[in-house]
Amino acid sequence: MPMSPHLTARSRGRPSSVGRSVALVCVLAVVALRFPLAAAAPAVPTRVDFNRDVRPILSDHCFACHGFDDKTRKASLRLDLKESALRGGKSGKPALVPGQPDASELVARVLTQDADDHMPPAEFGKPLTPAQAETLRRWVAEGGEFRDHWAFIPPERTSPPAVRHTDWPRNEIDRFVLARLEEQGATPRPEADKPTLIRRATLDLTGLPPTPDEIDAYLADTSAGAYERVVDRLLASSRYGERMAVDWLDAARFADTHGYHIDSARDMTAWRDWVIRAFNDNKPFDRFTVEQLAGDLLVTDRNPAPGTTDADLLVASGFNRNHMINYEGGAIPDEYHTAYILDRVNTTATVWLGLTMACAQCHDHKYDPLTMRDFYRFYAFFNTVPENGLDGRNGNAVPTLSLANADQKARLKELQEAAKKSEETVKELEAGATTRQQAWEAEVLKPEGLLAGTDTAAVRTNAALMKIVGTPAESRTDDDRKKLADYFRDQAFAALKDARQVRDQARDARDKFDRSLPTTMVMGEMEKPRDTFMLVRGQYDQKGEKVPAGTPAVLPPLAEGDPVNRLGLARWLVSPQQPLTARVIVNRYWQMYFGNGLVKSAENFGSQGDWPTHPALLDWLATEFVDSGWNVKALQRLIVTSATYRQSSAAPRAEVEADPENRLLARGPRVRLQAEFIRDLALQVGGLLDPRVGGESVFPYQPAGMWEELMAREDNDSFTAQKYVTSRGRDLYRRTMYTFWKRTCAPPSLGTFDAPDRQVCTVRRARTTTPLQALVLMNDPTYVEASRKLAERMMASAPDESGRIAHAFRLATGRNPRAAETEILIRLYRSQLETFRANASAADHLLGVGDAPRAAGLDAAELGAWTVVASAILNLDETITKG
Amino acid sequence: MNPEFLHLSREHQSLLTRRYFFGRLGAGLGTAALASLLEPRLLGADAPGVIDGPLPGLHFAPKAKRVIYLFQSGGPSHIDLFDYKPALKQHHGEELPASIRMGQRVTGMTSGQKSFPCVAPMFGWQQHGKSGTWMSELLPNTGRISDRLCFVRSMWTEAINHDPAVTYIQTGHQQAGRPALGAWLSYGIGSENQQLPAFVVLISQGSGNKTDQPLSTRYWGPGFLPGQHQGVRFRSQGDPVLYLGDPPGIARNDRRRMLDAVGDLNRMAADSFGDPEINARIAQYEMAYRMQASVPELTDLSRESPRVLEAYGVRDGATDGGFARNCLLARRMIERGVRFVQLMHRGWDQHGDLPKQIRGQCRDVDQPSAALVEDLHQRGLLEDTLVIWGGEFGRSVYSQGTLTKDNYGRDHHGRCFTIWMAGGGVKPGFSYGATDDYCYNIVENPVHIHDFNATVLHLLGIDHTRLTYKFQGRHFRLTDVHGNVVQPLIA
Repeated sequence: MPMSPHLTARSRGRPSSVGRSVALVCVLAVVALRFPLAAAAPAVPTRVDFNRDVRPILSDHCFACHGFDDKTRKASLRLDLKESALRGGKSGKPALVPGQPDASELVARVLTQDADDHMPPAEFGKPLTPAQAETLRRWVAEGGEFRDHWAFIPPERTSPPAVRHTDWPRNEIDRFVLARLEEQGATPRPEADKPTLIRRATLDLTGLPPTPDEIDAYLADTSAGAYERVVDRLLASSRYGERMAVDWLDAARFADTHGYHIDSARDMTAWRDWVIRAFNDNKPFDRFTVEQLAGDLLVTDRNPAPGTTDADLLVASGFNRNHMINYEGGAIPDEYHTAYILDRVNTTATVWLGLTMACAQCHDHKYDPLTMRDFYRFYAFFNTVPENGLDGRNGNAVPTLSLANADQKARLKELQEAAKKSEETVKELEAGATTRQQAWEAEVLKPEGLLAGTDTAAVRTNAALMKIVGTPAESRTDDDRKKLADYFRDQAFAALKDARQVRDQARDARDKFDRSLPTTMVMGEMEKPRDTFMLVRGQYDQKGEKVPAGTPAVLPPLAEGDPVNRLGLARWLVSPQQPLTARVIVNRYWQMYFGNGLVKSAENFGSQGDWPTHPALLDWLATEFVDSGWNVKALQRLIVTSATYRQSSAAPRAEVEADPENRLLARGPRVRLQAEFIRDLALQVGGLLDPRVGGESVFPYQPAGMWEELMAREDNDSFTAQKYVTSRGRDLYRRTMYTFWKRTCAPPSLGTFDAPDRQVCTVRRARTTTPLQALVLMNDPTYVEASRKLAERMMASAPDESGRIAHAFRLATGRNPRAAETEILIRLYRSQLETFRANASAADHLLGVGDAPRAAGLDAAELGAWTVVASAILNLDETITKG
Repeated sequence: MNPEFLHLSREHQSLLTRRYFFGRLGAGLGTAALASLLEPRLLGADAPGVIDGPLPGLHFAPKAKRVIYLFQSGGPSHIDLFDYKPALKQHHGEELPASIRMGQRVTGMTSGQKSFPCVAPMFGWQQHGKSGTWMSELLPNTGRISDRLCFVRSMWTEAINHDPAVTYIQTGHQQAGRPALGAWLSYGIGSENQQLPAFVVLISQGSGNKTDQPLSTRYWGPGFLPGQHQGVRFRSQGDPVLYLGDPPGIARNDRRRMLDAVGDLNRMAADSFGDPEINARIAQYEMAYRMQASVPELTDLSRESPRVLEAYGVRDGATDGGFARNCLLARRMIERGVRFVQLMHRGWDQHGDLPKQIRGQCRDVDQPSAALVEDLHQRGLLEDTLVIWGGEFGRSVYSQGTLTKDNYGRDHHGRCFTIWMAGGGVKPGFSYGATDDYCYNIVENPVHIHDFNATVLHLLGIDHTRLTYKFQGRHFRLTDVHGNVVQPLIA
């Protein structure tokens, strides 16, 4: 049942501010001087905050030797606990005397000039800055308070703070943001103009740009709540689920191949479809979690028919089968079985807890209170799947769920029965073969003897065999007896020979068909669960102490009454007492919209992670999310309808340089689109985008040989995904998220725009700017073809140059070009036209790129010149950026 | 520290200020937007006391400024090629003694064998040069230049299968997710040029084993580093760099005109939005345009003299799968300032039919490898270019499959293997480390692959413990928490 996205909607339906979209230049002039340039730097705190100011210093510079890990501890000194800091280490002097920096050894050691005593030691390579040393001194002077790491304390819901400019906030988010801005003496930017706003929201919520009709409808709607209605339309679009799924696929390390060595294909597209559907149905995030981590433990039927609730739950449980699976000849199964479980632990901990459990695989965590024991207790949850160490040869690895439909199942049954029947026939004939052989021998010895169903002639030309036949049965050697029996069964007994052939064909047909049926990889539990042992130094073959499944000691235990298995773990992850999940998830959604999370290190909420820019806002959002019933769409709506999100992203250069990553949120987000959405945009504006949602992966254009020169095999027979076979027709134009993802050679144009290779879990992509990106956008046939199709649309849209340019510009950037911009593009068009007029075949060559048919009746030189203009528009920074 | 480098540092300091936005405003977590491709070494660390980030300067005066890594994928047999053990002849056909095997694990391909017969090489050996280096008769050219080479006969790795072993030696970890050596260098010290990537990869397939050795882009991947640090594959078919060529029908001046229009429009946007990222994009388009000219010039071997082509063995119909051509390209790349050229040459995985396959493999690589070293020497480039030749592990002394009069195979062996280096500050005509009479265990001066990588970084002027990147709360480095520089290798 889809949940309403309105549960927590608090929009006031204020008229959209056409009146406020002042000419940009004026706004810049007015606000520029009021914005403190150093705003991004943390203001001098009135009082040192342990978690914000002190813990990062201790964590980065001290804990490696004076922290949690007792194996690396020096001088018996621990600085992560107050009691031990008060007690001091081997020297006997207290490291910390609250309020008395001069009596505190810690302060003395970081301030001393004596190289022997100085901390951290020079060879450690991480000296403190004078400011950091001063922070430590002040902290001690102010009482040397310790607090648990902020992220391990459950989020606290505080009332949004009071603000001076009460007319700006649209919802609670804005009061948190504005309060911080006001504290810094800064002012938010005005609301973005309507075309910018609808483009931003449409790209963010669907991964596609708005169409001109959608923009026009929004511009025409001057009634209250027009923007909110756009947002609701987008949240209800099936494109929304696709857009949300892309980031989840990164986190889930989804791919279409196994990833190691030979790197054959697998098929987890049913799981991908489940994810899209879950987002579109607004499945509450707690359900979303439990079903993916433990859907298999919620079913009553392990072999359900496709489409049933049980089947969906099993499909969902494939989340933790998306890791790489090996099949290298010579690899040791145990080694890889261990690697898969490690991957599940690391992925699950990163995605839900924002913790780097991996560190505790070989030793106690150096920075966070996670022990090796914690690690292997967590590991135990994932160690009881009935799977094989080396199962990535071809296709899906067990356990799997058959997704065959009724017809396919019926056909399979027929084939299975045919095979069984043929096997029985062979068996019957074999059972009667001895008797039959005796009769045959008798006939063979007669000059013209015949026996139905056998060949009596051929053997007569074989002297050696005839000698055996001529020997009385009881006088034959064992060897001879066997020779003759084999000969009879394999050669002379034609009926058996034929039956065996029929049987082999029937088996082959059955197996081939069976392999062709869709399946998906799922989780399961072994009938007799495997014990879990701690692994010495993380080595698969060095088992230590046996440990039971459980959650890290620093976090709450499983709920009483919940089973101690993945289901209990999944429920625990989304239980309100557990301090991390809600924060980690809302932070990642924030990152989706603003380019950075409130905690920039979205993958790490531990003590080495970044301090949140707006801690109270993060906690408020986390509690709001939980209170709403983990309502994902409501959370998204809250964010994108906030005044914070709706700000213009344009700002004076100096302001941007002062806060390049927009950590203060004093302007709207301006972020380059993710790889997939850049291509989607080109396909859409070229009118090429295939609208189908979900389904198989496809093979769009890719330079010849990209796979083949890395792969071992030259065909797709014994191993799959070795040879790239480009799709035909509309499969070439599916949304980019459906592109076949081969892990050892990920889609190259997407990698150029920072898409990960999906070998391991990724919750934050890099955003780089490189020349290789320019080459893709200018020359990849995908973009050349899209430019041609866009050019055709331009020519159909208006008779004049300006009208055509305006049409394309709007499709790509959402706005009308300014006169100066149009002029530049007209100039480009005319000079290119002149070139193509002089060289008609050049235009034809350009127009021949791509499979999509060329519109009839258009002049080649004109269409070619417009194609160049369209390509220029697709290459604009503004086109590939959410502004 | 050498004065030239100090000078460069100062220059880069000023660039850092002047072109601050290129590095600092790369947006998102990849702040070093152009570190690899635009401007070398211009990025400082985030703040004093923070050690992550591109290096503000090298830690030591570098002996090597660039690297050509002739990676021999599959595991060349050290026993048949480099590690001369005359005594092995006496053990030929004998069962490998338990005292040598010591219960160490072997791969799943031979662990079920009933018998582990030792195999002495079926090829002759020759002694070369002043250093008196012994080498298989299959490598006459390598033998000829052995006085320029520095051999490590005591390399070792824990990995015993290709995927983990190549991942390990290239990224310092057996599982996926970490940056390759070249990516670390691109990130840490960037490029020496403005038109080409810092880290280039060239692939070839030799005439040995042709079916069992896939490669993964992970072997030259960026791991958790921003994507621009990944090795850029230069290909021998189609565009050398992906999408380098303009579409058919588009001439150079068409492209120029289009770029001018895009540049003008982007500059207008930069003024409106105040976003320096737009300026970075404008600069990248210009660099792409320059690459469109500089790469074809680079890959055009017709400018090389017939004498050079002959020396490397670049010719039609060669069975080397392009190795000779790639060696010559590597020299042209480092001449133009590419920091790290990684050749990935396949075919060394000789589980069966070793005698025939290894002959072919050696014929493919011997002449070009030697020609490259000689060519670099003659051009004065060898002095500060480190050439590395080696694979991910060695091969087993026992036969995989049946040992016959003239045929055998060898399984993977990580307990020891041989690599060689040349130039770039390593001792010429020098051998380091030793194995037992069975080429099975190391008996002297073991060099773990972490030690090797630490040494390579050291030669480049980098302290391997201080080139780090913070990811998931941890300061990662190429050598993880291991590695010791092998000082005796350094001249």
